[in-house]
Amino acid sequence: MIDILLSLLGGVLPSWLIYVISFLVNTTIILIVTPVTFMMMTWFERRMVARMQDRLGPNRVGPAGLLQAVADGVKMFTKENITPRAADKWVHLIAPVVATAPVMFLFAVIPWGRGLEPSNVNVSVLFVVAISSISAVGLMMGGWGSNNKFALLGAMRAVAQMVSYEIPAVIALLGMVLFTGTMNLNNYSALQGGIPLLGSTLQELGVPDLGLGWFVFTPIGLLGFGIFFTCVLSEGERTPFDIPEADSEIVAGYMTEYSGMKFAVFYMGQFLFNYALSMVASIVFLGGWNGPGVGLLADAGLPFLAGLLSVVYLFVKTWFLFFVMIWLRGAFPRLRMDQLMSFAWKFLLPLALINILSAALWLTLMLWCTGPSCDQSLWVVHIAGVNPLDWMGSAAWVRQLVGLVVSGVINVGAFFWLLSINRRPGGETPAELAQDQVFGVASLP
Amino acid sequence: MNILILVIFFGLSAFTLAAGVMVVTVKNIIHAALWLIASFFSVAALYLLMEAEFIAIVQVLVYVGAISILVLFAIMLTRHVTGEGVRQLYQRWWVALIVAAALFGVLIVPTVFNFQWSVPTAPDQSAGLSSAVQIGTAFMREYLLPFEIASVLLLVALIGAIVIAFEERASRRRVLTLAEEVELRRQRGESLRLAATPTAPEAQNTGSAPSQP
Repeated sequence: MIDILLSLLGGVLPSWLIYVISFLVNTTIILIVTPVTFMMMTWFERRMVARMQDRLGPNRVGPAGLLQAVADGVKMFTKENITPRAADKWVHLIAPVVATAPVMFLFAVIPWGRGLEPSNVNVSVLFVVAISSISAVGLMMGGWGSNNKFALLGAMRAVAQMVSYEIPAVIALLGMVLFTGTMNLNNYSALQGGIPLLGSTLQELGVPDLGLGWFVFTPIGLLGFGIFFTCVLSEGERTPFDIPEADSEIVAGYMTEYSGMKFAVFYMGQFLFNYALSMVASIVFLGGWNGPGVGLLADAGLPFLAGLLSVVYLFVKTWFLFFVMIWLRGAFPRLRMDQLMSFAWKFLLPLALINILSAALWLTLMLWCTGPSCDQSLWVVHIAGVNPLDWMGSAAWVRQLVGLVVSGVINVGAFFWLLSINRRPGGETPAELAQDQVFGVASLP
Repeated sequence: MNILILVIFFGLSAFTLAAGVMVVTVKNIIHAALWLIASFFSVAALYLLMEAEFIAIVQVLVYVGAISILVLFAIMLTRHVTGEGVRQLYQRWWVALIVAAALFGVLIVPTVFNFQWSVPTAPDQSAGLSSAVQIGTAFMREYLLPFEIASVLLLVALIGAIVIAFEERASRRRVLTLAEEVELRRQRGESLRLAATPTAPEAQNTGSAPSQP
């Protein structure tokens, strides 16, 4: 964007003004596109859940009910704006904004397609993590400022859940940072070209760029994607992790006292958070805008068509992940709070730690120096004067294969090991629990 | 452009200081925590103004995302939820003032006298943009020992927290439900903190209720 504006207006306006203009244009685009996306998401979710529950869903306003979101918006606008008398007025009022504004921030660093980057932040993976943790403050303000027990309980649950699940999510992302050596989201998609598993390591042998070297096809990426997507479900409060707003227990959680536009802003923040994190997941793990054809079109000198195709790819991947969220909502019941916490701390976190270790091992294998000329290299260890990995040679694809096998064995082993140690200990199987002193037979699950 | 940066700098500094003053003067302790978050934020913005992206983002991640949440949690769990009626100034506030001023003086005076007061040259663009790499290299090369000591310290704190939390439950494999916990304490004859609720019948009720038709 800046480059285009600089070449167009370079002689006419001072350069700082061009920068300001380009930022304003980007901001305007983001602030228009995201609410429209939110409206489409609510329609999509309602229609999909209805389909799964064998009913029709909204189908009266506009073709196939597409304008339902507009009607809902008008309703939200015209509703009475209620603030409880005992509430802390300012905290109550600001909370939806604090919860939603960081989500809008996220879109500033997420690329939309090939060469379509709103901004070029060098540590944007970290930016996503840092900014998304701010909205927890907004939830807490909403829960506390409403002066309502349900709201406070909901806020406590929401924040505890967000803080716990942030840790495995960050560690899963960190594995990919090791994999790629960059923290810039703009670079991730281009690195996932080539063919599955081997990526673009066979390029000099004449294998075309199919755009399918997605990280999710490697063992490290697959495990990382699983962990990250679970954490996204939890941070975005989607079923089966929607405990903070479990309506059968605590009304609507921290949103209990909100109505009208304030509620809509909370709701929008939540949906857009899901969307932004789905986008991040598809960029980091699912190849982002890369797919069959993008690299070929770009090589053939058609960058515009390649850009268009890349936007379609990213869009489809993101909406597919959102569809999976809806699917889970249609299929699963809610977890309990203690199940949620032990899942995060006893299963996901150790798994993520092992994943990052195997990513480091993969990196060592890729960087290990072989051949006669590497006596001085930092990346080589001699055992009894012999380089133990000398047989790998210098071909990148051999190293990649060795790395895949090693990390695959480690990850699969770790997964099943953690499953087995998290099994119910002896004396606590359902039949034995039936003998429970306190509950008697009633505690059978 | 320089004037613009100066204006932004002084605006941010003023906001940081104002938010800091609000932290120590407002009556409501939750409001104080929220003002603290505001001041952390503007410090992050100041880092960003110095083109230290990485530090700015880490500031947000650590101080806003972790420490403030912890502060808010601690307040909500320990105090009365309304949080009103907390006195911020105690009778001997002037002692604290003197100590704080003395500490600040000890820190600032050597800086003022030893610092080379010259306009710094613009940083090398290529180097400045990859500050994450530079910090990582510094940690792994020049400052490896302090880095490792800090890691060990954090690990000790972590293990200590686990030991304290599991002091009496180390032998048990399962987290008890509230009813079981109450029952256990009643058997031991300990005083119950949930004194207002009639405990033993409650536990019985919770247990037997689902089995009744």
